Amino acid sequence: MKTRTEVALTGTGLAVAGLTAADELLGARREGGFDPTKALVGRDLRHKDRATRLALRAVEPALRDADLLDQDDALTVSPDAIAVVVSSNLGNLDSVCRMADLIAEETVEALNPLVLPQTSSNVIAGAVAIRYGLRGPNLTLCNGETGGLDAVHWAHTLIAAGRAQVAVVVGVEPADGVVAKFVGAGVVDGAVALVLEDASAGRGARPRAVLKGYGYGVDRDAVIAKALDRAEPGLWLTNDDAPAAGLSDVDRFDLEARLGRCSGALGVLQCAAAAAHLDQDPARPALATITGADETAALLLAAPVR
Amino acid sequence: MSWDITGWGAVANVGADPEEIYTALCAARDVRAPLRAFDASKYRMRHAYEIDDRPEPGKDTVLRASSWLHTAVAQAVADAGLDDLGDVPVLVGTTLREQRSAELWWREGAEFDPVDLDFGRALRAEFGFSRTYTFANACAAALYALAMATDMIELGMADTVVVAGTDSITESAFGTLDRVQNETPDSLRPFDKSHAGMVMGEGAVAVVVRRAGADTARVRAKVRSVAVNCDGFHATAPDASAVTTVMRDAHRRAGVEPGDIDLVMLHGSGTPRNDETEAGVLAEVFADTGGGPLMTAVKSMTGHTLGGSGLLSLVVAALAMREGRVPPVLGLHDPIDEAAGLRLVRDTALDARVGTAQVDAFGFGGINAVAILEAAR
Repeated sequence: MKTRTEVALTGTGLAVAGLTAADELLGARREGGFDPTKALVGRDLRHKDRATRLALRAVEPALRDADLLDQDDALTVSPDAIAVVVSSNLGNLDSVCRMADLIAEETVEALNPLVLPQTSSNVIAGAVAIRYGLRGPNLTLCNGETGGLDAVHWAHTLIAAGRAQVAVVVGVEPADGVVAKFVGAGVVDGAVALVLEDASAGRGARPRAVLKGYGYGVDRDAVIAKALDRAEPGLWLTNDDAPAAGLSDVDRFDLEARLGRCSGALGVLQCAAAAAHLDQDPARPALATITGADETAALLLAAPVR
Repeated sequence: MSWDITGWGAVANVGADPEEIYTALCAARDVRAPLRAFDASKYRMRHAYEIDDRPEPGKDTVLRASSWLHTAVAQAVADAGLDDLGDVPVLVGTTLREQRSAELWWREGAEFDPVDLDFGRALRAEFGFSRTYTFANACAAALYALAMATDMIELGMADTVVVAGTDSITESAFGTLDRVQNETPDSLRPFDKSHAGMVMGEGAVAVVVRRAGADTARVRAKVRSVAVNCDGFHATAPDASAVTTVMRDAHRRAGVEPGDIDLVMLHGSGTPRNDETEAGVLAEVFADTGGGPLMTAVKSMTGHTLGGSGLLSLVVAALAMREGRVPPVLGLHDPIDEAAGLRLVRDTALDARVGTAQVDAFGFGGINAVAILEAAR
């Protein structure tokens, strides 16, 4: 069990306005793309908060990308072996504050009983599991700015520990009135989903990237060094412009400059972008780092050996 | 395979540390009170198992869940004799995070920094932790965190991990619960025919988990396994097949048979759906074990303390092992039909030798966690 299980990224899905595929995160352009005004409606989304709607719209293309759904929309892997890991900080904040308003302005009788699950911060992960009948471990990270990279790390841990063969990782942050007042305008209002799996399972899905080192802590240089483990990346996805030892010549890319504040979704978006980059340029790995209040997380992704 | 618990801490309405809580539970103390947190005229429910530490009645303050968390963690690391926490990961399980603080910010303009919605920054600042993770895993959260902690040790990512849980009552959660429950319970009565639903409690709990043998002088109990899964079925209604699977998986991982379990710490949330499902599954899983294990439900006295509730049950189980005494299910007079064959401890604490205990925790989203605990002997 202590041998490090190799985990591959085999699918990505986006629900970010104007985008279709992960390479567009790094600047590729296509017509069309996700349109929330059209996509966030439907019977399956009734009585769900915006974050959950966005998440469900990102998960489906990720499952298809990884060949986890067959032509009849049945899962191709045992649902007991599929974990769900979600990162979101602001997901249910709007619901919580609006419910408090209703109680204050009227009484509890004014509340819609169907929104009960939205009071719990794990509502998104529960809804994803229910939509597809996923019965493996179900984990929600509310871990601040670094949460997206942390969610990918915990998905890796669940697979390495043998608790799951496949993990669906979702990063999602909605933008609405409460969120804008809470953290400021310009939150991404989008979701991203990844499929991660035990690379040795031989399921046949094409690996786009493999997870390498991960670090987390308050010593930024040490965290980055731990994730790199002496590797020399060809791309550095980061959320700040501070320097780091050994990375002065590496191309930097700040997804938030393009998408707005991504909070708990950022790390998952970075991994999707890294996989798209490695598809084009597999020679050197891609590093993702996020620095929050005083903490930093870092994750290295590399192209699969072909 | 096992992991040692070498320290613990807890705070709930029935007591300010694990020993006090355990003593109160054994004394069958009923400390629920009329609702003080919010304007009671807005609600049908009029009771809760609150921690009464607000500055004045009806005047709520921010960061109460964080403050109890710090109390429980400080107790646990002192109990375990840990000095330098810089290398010790801390995994916090919660249902509602600091959503109560967000409500107070939104409704009353209370000062609250969005960074403190999760517990990481404050734990790093207060204790010098550097690896902090907040898992929002509903009412199975702290046992889920315990599962992750055992995996971290097993995979060589840490030798010592602090696992904790905390929650304070929010208006949105208390209100929607009130709205959806058919009846309006004034107390939480798990497994009794009078059970009318869940009543919320408050509190925090923490344990120090170490690689087996790391500090043999302080072993309070041994974790033999933690199994986790998800129903993938319904947001609030439990699913018997997934609950059965997670219990059997916990036994398999621990290498025990149902007949080896001496005590089950029930999830026992007092909702008819939970109690019927949990009782039905237990009756089936323990069908071939003669009389079956003793069973008790701490929520009958602490209320449902949400994210930390499973870990609080685990600490109480460890104390029951040490003291040879199991607290009763308060208010259990007429068990539901599904529980007719179960050995539920009633009325007063029962003297019993407990070597192995099972701890159940189930939450919204259909997430389930079951831990197996072995006495330190």
